[in-house]
Amino acid sequence: MFEPVDDVIERIARHLRRPVRIDPALDGRVMREITALPTPGGATALGKAWGWLTRPHQLTLTPLGGLTVAAALAVVVLLSRMDSSAPGPPAPPQAESRAFQFVLVAPRATHISLVGDFNDWDAARTPMRRAGSEALWTAVVPLAPGRYHYAFLVDGSRWLADPSAPVARDEDYGEPSSVLTVGGGGS
Amino acid sequence: MGIRNVGTSDAALVRRVQTGDTGAYADLVARYRDRLGRYALHMLGNREDAEEVLQDAFVRAYRSLARCDDPERFGAWLYGILVNRCRTAGPRAARRARRFVHDPAALETAPLAGPDGRTEWDDTVRWALARLPSESREAFLLKHVEELEYEDMARLTGAGVSALKMRVKRAREQLQTMLKEAERV
Repeated sequence: MFEPVDDVIERIARHLRRPVRIDPALDGRVMREITALPTPGGATALGKAWGWLTRPHQLTLTPLGGLTVAAALAVVVLLSRMDSSAPGPPAPPQAESRAFQFVLVAPRATHISLVGDFNDWDAARTPMRRAGSEALWTAVVPLAPGRYHYAFLVDGSRWLADPSAPVARDEDYGEPSSVLTVGGGGS
Repeated sequence: MGIRNVGTSDAALVRRVQTGDTGAYADLVARYRDRLGRYALHMLGNREDAEEVLQDAFVRAYRSLARCDDPERFGAWLYGILVNRCRTAGPRAARRARRFVHDPAALETAPLAGPDGRTEWDDTVRWALARLPSESREAFLLKHVEELEYEDMARLTGAGVSALKMRVKRAREQLQTMLKEAERV
């Protein structure tokens, strides 16, 4: 004897309705891909900066230690002109400052700080926050035109350079760090 | 639509992305990753294809976000993009599956429960689902697994309600027949 068709279908449907877990690393792959794309809706004032971000840059990746490092992927995303009322930025914006979002994929980290020339390498000033995904951490920092060294401090002890940015050659602290150059003149 | 929002609304996140907060898109990806992934996985039959299509759908949605007329319905809009991507990828995935599965003897001697914990029932359902015509599989999954109303299915697929009802009916009958076959073996 076979079950009535409704019972069979319900049994199949119930089986197929079970939650499916997709690898959270997909979030990082999506974010890496969209970082190279213009902002939806067209923020034309960002054109030059987007150009800088999307132009090919020669990258030299520093060997990174540990499993977290192996899983780490970082990107820097230009957001918009700095709004002085925006919450969170660690320093008062200057007239030509723009906000940059730093994104790090580090699924096993419990705490991450963004450190760099812009916050005197003070780990307490720019803690990163989780952005939805357990793996993604973000921080927004206003930056005036200039050249900045920066790095990610993972769980208070592990330094990460940004794999998507040029590596700093003059590493004053003896730790891996990256370089971000912010252009002036309204770019 | 069977898609519910939690925490910050989809609309708020969409507007943040549209004004340049790219990081907010990570919240949307994390929110819909597993729910849409389930549909893609059942529709295409393997995880690799499902993840590829899912990633493509998220990127395409980001590119087109300016055309998302109703941010409150971002989930439904995204769902529509995924359904279309699965339609495009389906034949390619099916060809690949046929290339891989060409040794009936090997299939007959394969263990019923794989090392990943799949059971015989898992395999039977996957086998039956894969044998449905893609239009029937799509309609069955949207109706019985994603639990959408026919009107929502019509908006997603572009097919009429009557046609969708017929596809679901045929899918149910075919699944019943195939399960009978499987139980006889």
